[in-house]
Amino acid sequence: MTFWERWRIPIMLAPTMAIVIILFGGALYYGFLQSLGWQPRIGNTELSLDAYNNILFAGPQTEQFWRGLVLTLWVSFASTFLSAVLAIGSALLLRQTFVGKRVATFLFQFNLPIPHVVAAIGILFLFSQSGLISRGLAQIGVIGAPNQFPIVVRDSLGIGIILSFVWKEAPFLGVIVLAVLQSLGEDYEDLARSLGANRWQRFRYVILPLILPGLLSGSVIVFAFTFGSFEVPAILGVRFPRMLSVTTDRFFRDPDLNSRTEGMAISMIIAVIVLVLVFVYQWLSRRAIRQE
Amino acid sequence: MATTQNLERTTSMQDAPVITEAKSPLAGVLRYAAIGLILLFLLLPLLTFLINAFAFRWFYPQFFPKELSLQAWDNIFAPNFKVGEALWNSTLIAVVVTWVSIIIGIPAARALGMYKFRYKRVVEFFILAPIIVPGISISLGLNINFIRWGLSGTIPGVMLVHLIPVMPYVVLTLSGVFANYNADFEDQARTLGAGPIATFRYVTFPAIFPGIMVASLFAFLVSWSQYILTFLIGGGQVITMPVLLFSTVPGGRNPNIAALSLVFIGPAILILILTSRFLSGKSAIGGFGQI
Amino acid sequence: MTHVYLDKLTKVYPGANEAAVSDFSLDIPDGELVAFLGPSGCGKTTTLKMIAGLIRPTRGRITFDGEDVIAIPAEKRGAVMVFQNYLLFPYMSVGDNVGFGLKMRGVDKRTIRQKVQEMLELVKLPDISDRRPNQLSGGQQQRVALARALITEPRVLLLDEPLSNLDAHLRDEMRELIVSIQRQLKVTTVFVTHDQEEAVLLADKIALMFEGVLQQFASPDEFYQRPISERAARFFGGVNFIDANRNGNKVETSVGNFVFNAKNSDNAPEGDSVLTIRPEQIAIGHDVPNGENVVTGRVRSRIYVGTYTRYKIAIDDCEIEAIRSADLPGEINEGDEINVHFPSDRIWFVPRNSN
Ligand SMILES: Nc1ncnc2c1ncn2[C@@H]1O[C@H](COP(=O)(O)OP(=O)(O)OP(=O)(O)O)[C@@H](O)[C@H]1O
Ligand SMILES: [Mg+2]
Repeated sequence: MTFWERWRIPIMLAPTMAIVIILFGGALYYGFLQSLGWQPRIGNTELSLDAYNNILFAGPQTEQFWRGLVLTLWVSFASTFLSAVLAIGSALLLRQTFVGKRVATFLFQFNLPIPHVVAAIGILFLFSQSGLISRGLAQIGVIGAPNQFPIVVRDSLGIGIILSFVWKEAPFLGVIVLAVLQSLGEDYEDLARSLGANRWQRFRYVILPLILPGLLSGSVIVFAFTFGSFEVPAILGVRFPRMLSVTTDRFFRDPDLNSRTEGMAISMIIAVIVLVLVFVYQWLSRRAIRQE
Repeated sequence: MATTQNLERTTSMQDAPVITEAKSPLAGVLRYAAIGLILLFLLLPLLTFLINAFAFRWFYPQFFPKELSLQAWDNIFAPNFKVGEALWNSTLIAVVVTWVSIIIGIPAARALGMYKFRYKRVVEFFILAPIIVPGISISLGLNINFIRWGLSGTIPGVMLVHLIPVMPYVVLTLSGVFANYNADFEDQARTLGAGPIATFRYVTFPAIFPGIMVASLFAFLVSWSQYILTFLIGGGQVITMPVLLFSTVPGGRNPNIAALSLVFIGPAILILILTSRFLSGKSAIGGFGQI
Repeated sequence: MTHVYLDKLTKVYPGANEAAVSDFSLDIPDGELVAFLGPSGCGKTTTLKMIAGLIRPTRGRITFDGEDVIAIPAEKRGAVMVFQNYLLFPYMSVGDNVGFGLKMRGVDKRTIRQKVQEMLELVKLPDISDRRPNQLSGGQQQRVALARALITEPRVLLLDEPLSNLDAHLRDEMRELIVSIQRQLKVTTVFVTHDQEEAVLLADKIALMFEGVLQQFASPDEFYQRPISERAARFFGGVNFIDANRNGNKVETSVGNFVFNAKNSDNAPEGDSVLTIRPEQIAIGHDVPNGENVVTGRVRSRIYVGTYTRYKIAIDDCEIEAIRSADLPGEINEGDEINVHFPSDRIWFVPRNSN
């Protein structure tokens, strides 16, 4: 009785926590040891920061790393921001009553279960130089040949990658915003109206603050995901600069075991950057919500 | 002095004006245009799969191919393409991962959703951490451990790693359900003579069933879509649909890629449609974040 | 300050078969406190929202001081609504909530702060400007919502069930506050309730509505003395209904013949009708002398309810209820045969129900 009462919660949490701690935590721990050069298999048990030094400051891959970091930050911020904007717009449109609302809402959510690999391929099929849009433009005579179509996938600015992420994540965030709007109903807006708020003021001072918590927590997930996502940049990226996850994977596949150490160092750096950014973001957004 | 008004007398006799709901036609057109554009962006990529998968000699400026063929389908269902193996592995892994994650997720979700305890925030942080830290950051460290445990390159090993990204969604979704769950029903059942198992079977389970369906959907989809963890732990020996699809992309044979993509997304869409009636509300949607 | 006139207001919601409100006409004098009373779903909120401009009527006119306001959008109409569940913006401080309406009008911060303070003092919550809505009790939230509505100096104040979410003693307090503020500011006010007691205690006049149709618009005591229908009478606690036939001041009923002698008897139906009288206006007892409008009945049951006692009395085939103050002399027991007096100026008539 007392035993059960005392240990009930730990026992209930144990299996899940075991997965998180042993598999996830263990992997981070060994990954970290490896990034310090610990490879008992090849007899290396001395720890050093060489790999970090090579990556960050003085190695053949230093430039690839820094340019990759800039690209990764750009891609994940741009994807998150554009997805959020598109999500808010779509949710505001879909919230109203109009003929065909059910169909539109269904189609809007249609790509939620579609994997990112497929999303990347779809964007490739659509936006590549010989893709569907290029063909469409050629049909109506805007362009004459594939190479007249701008390079938007496999481009050095990561536009194709961003398009894929927005394609996937805008409906995800949109559905969250739509659910918040629907659960709130229109009373707050009616109230604001009766107090004299015009359309823009109702958006700025009522709708936005009300959807902000849901939107922010959804966009944290989007940001963290896009920052570390592998499949999309692997399919739609260029050789230089590469997003960090792709660079990491390159190191892992290198037959030279020493480069694994450097790969591990990058993957640790990715993890730290994501964690720090997510914390900063959470902190800022809490503050923003409080100040509203 | 106020007297009762005879209503017939006070209402004005002339007919009150009819007011038509003022809706500017321009606003309606603009709304449909905006929705149409958004849907076009979301649906056109999907259309490209259908075209590519059946296209034959689709030369450049043609918008729709002049010739159609089933060549790509013959290609991908040829034995050496391993679609059968990949489908089987993907399904097996996703189904087992779903079951296991639900079974171990229910008690954890109940603890988080219904009880207050010390270090709850810490526990929540740990459970959510795999959503934030990318798979690529843990995959090699995982692989080292899995090699030591003899799980690398095996299906059980892949199932185990899939639990890492799956558990946060399952626990998150179900703890939302338990947060709105009234445990008094269980006590009521107990006083009416139901044992712990009967109580779960007849009271708890039906109450959380919609949540279980939603959590299962997410678990299935996260596992079904998982590439990087499968590839690095499976070591090329466990072929799943995303692994197979990913490996066909560099070949650049678009019809094959498209056909394979359709085979890959078919079950995911089917599962979504089957469970969609349980999807409603904000907590239910969080799970799509990592698919 | 504003004379509100509703002319045949009708609302049919899109897709609905029946009108939520039909041909609702009402003349609300300047500065009065009017209650919309009726059971749940009868269209009270719909009417309120039409006045506020939040719902466009399907048909009908609304004028404020003679000016047609239908085309004026809610945000410019100056009819401020206070919602049933307060709807304080959860992400704003109390002060920012109260100041919202002025901020929307682009009033400068200093003036807003000053006015917020005035309003919070008006609702007797001077020191909570910096708190968050979730740190307030229900009663406090209601007052903040009221302050937020009043800060814009509305032409019309619309309160949707302002007391229904409060517990009993808070309700009394809040009711007094609403009345005193309304008297002080003299703002034309409409409030919605489904509780007749609340309507009687608060309102100058009550508009009773059933199923979207206005039944009677009158002062509270009128509803007790001269209800317009059996249903209206029952809504105000009427229980005694006896089929009757009235001819001028001569009344025939199954329990006896009466004389009818009320003031303002114009509206009472003649011919086949139903006699009604409130239980507290029937005089009963062994000491009631025989005479005009007095019949005998037998006491079926009695329930002691503290300051008074409730009796069920059989008169022939009819059963009526009467209330008698507990400290009147003379004991009445179950089974007693007693005199029952229907005072000629207290009985009233409503039309015979068709159904
Ligand atoms: N937006 C709407 N769409 C369709 N029908 C509605 C809508 N709002 C209200 N109704 C219907 O109109 C009728 C009147 O509703 P209203 O909200 O005005 O009633 P109410 O008197 O305020 O009731 P309550 O006391 O329950 O608040 C009801 O039958 C209701 O179902
Ligand atoms: Mg209402």
